[in-house]
Amino acid sequence: MMSSVPASDKKSKLLVYTIEECLVDGQKTKRAFQVGDYITKEGGKCTKCGSPTRVTLVYAESSKASS
Amino acid sequence: MFKSEILEPIFGIFLFGIANVALQGLPTDSGTLLYIVSLGFFVVYGLYATRIQVYFALNDIGRGLNKLRVMKDKSRKEAIDYLVGVGKAPADPTVRVDQFLDYVTIMPVDTDPQGIINKIDHVVTTNNDRVRAEVTALLSQTNPVTVSISENLLEVASALNMIHKVVRHYYLLGKKTNSYFTLIQLQMLLPMILQEADALLNAVDSFKVGQPVGDGIGPVTVSKYMIGKEKRAIAKDTVLAISEYKGRKLYVVKADGPMGYVGQPGVAIKKVIEEMGAKPSAIIMIDAALKLEGEKTGEIAEGVGAAIGGIGVEKFQIEEVATKNKIPLYAILVKQSILEAITVMRKEIAEASDKVNQVLNRLIEEKTKEGDEVLVAGIGNTLGVAQ
Repeated sequence: MMSSVPASDKKSKLLVYTIEECLVDGQKTKRAFQVGDYITKEGGKCTKCGSPTRVTLVYAESSKASS
Repeated sequence: MFKSEILEPIFGIFLFGIANVALQGLPTDSGTLLYIVSLGFFVVYGLYATRIQVYFALNDIGRGLNKLRVMKDKSRKEAIDYLVGVGKAPADPTVRVDQFLDYVTIMPVDTDPQGIINKIDHVVTTNNDRVRAEVTALLSQTNPVTVSISENLLEVASALNMIHKVVRHYYLLGKKTNSYFTLIQLQMLLPMILQEADALLNAVDSFKVGQPVGDGIGPVTVSKYMIGKEKRAIAKDTVLAISEYKGRKLYVVKADGPMGYVGQPGVAIKKVIEEMGAKPSAIIMIDAALKLEGEKTGEIAEGVGAAIGGIGVEKFQIEEVATKNKIPLYAILVKQSILEAITVMRKEIAEASDKVNQVLNRLIEEKTKEGDEVLVAGIGNTLGVAQ
């Protein structure tokens, strides 16, 4: 009745992603978040040019929006 | 018999109906029966309306209270599991955690408000130091990220414990005294209380794995100006980097990440100006702000003044040093709900960071000139956001 949490908050299932950005060509790669990821952490190699990347964002979006 | 002038005639009609039945025997037509029953219903409702509403309010609050109890127990369990699983607590921390949840911070007397900010600062600092020391003692490691996450988890459990206790207090008080107004007020507030409690519980999932939260948008924005620059501790849990933008010298301040700290930006800004002798032409603060219903998440608002929440100590320090040195204070705010502020950063908020950078650059160019110094502070919890 009155004391209920809004339904939209209960339903939204969030998936968390990490965005890695190439330090040379700015190529952005989106992958699933892994424990230990943080913003400014060094990432893997750029998929385009092989240069080092850096984690620039970590964010969540609803599974509906990302599909 | 009746105090109410409205109920008296109704009761008269009802008595008339009963007398009619007594004299003429039971009515055979359904219309008369329905008439008598409905009259009876009005009399009963008139007499017991408040009690009926109290009954429904008690049921409703009871259900809410049960939800709060489940949330409180879950957050406590999550905190204990983290201390044991990740923090590798050498002994069972359950007893210490339960003691921690009931700790209170007694605010200074405010009847004579002169100097109260320093007193509040002293009490809050003492509390923060005590929490840090206790959590460190509970763990068998000193990894700052693990310690900060443990602190955050215990703070969430403590907040939920307090919410549950207060709601239970008013529920039992209302029940004991049969106070209609106490219960109705609590019933009206309960949806908001549950929403806030739900947000706190959801925050546990983000804290456990060290994900940046919506409140960290300020640190996310300024961290871009700190990458590759020398960082130094300027206040407790707070770092400073000196950077450059279009001929301006930038003093960039944020809490020390990727730990879940908010730092002491007030102390840091004061030190930069008073101890390091910097003469900034502007102080620009970036923070998350609670949106009003109807506003979009990730919307950016500009303004003037110290953009910082909390108990008011940091805000006071910043306003004081800015006023004393006649430095204009500018604010950039990123709108979000309470749930979004304390749970994992939403895409709309994260993507606003580029726009915030553009606004920040424009502000620096508009409000200062080449050769000037600018102080930029990213305010908020810096969990998962290094520099």
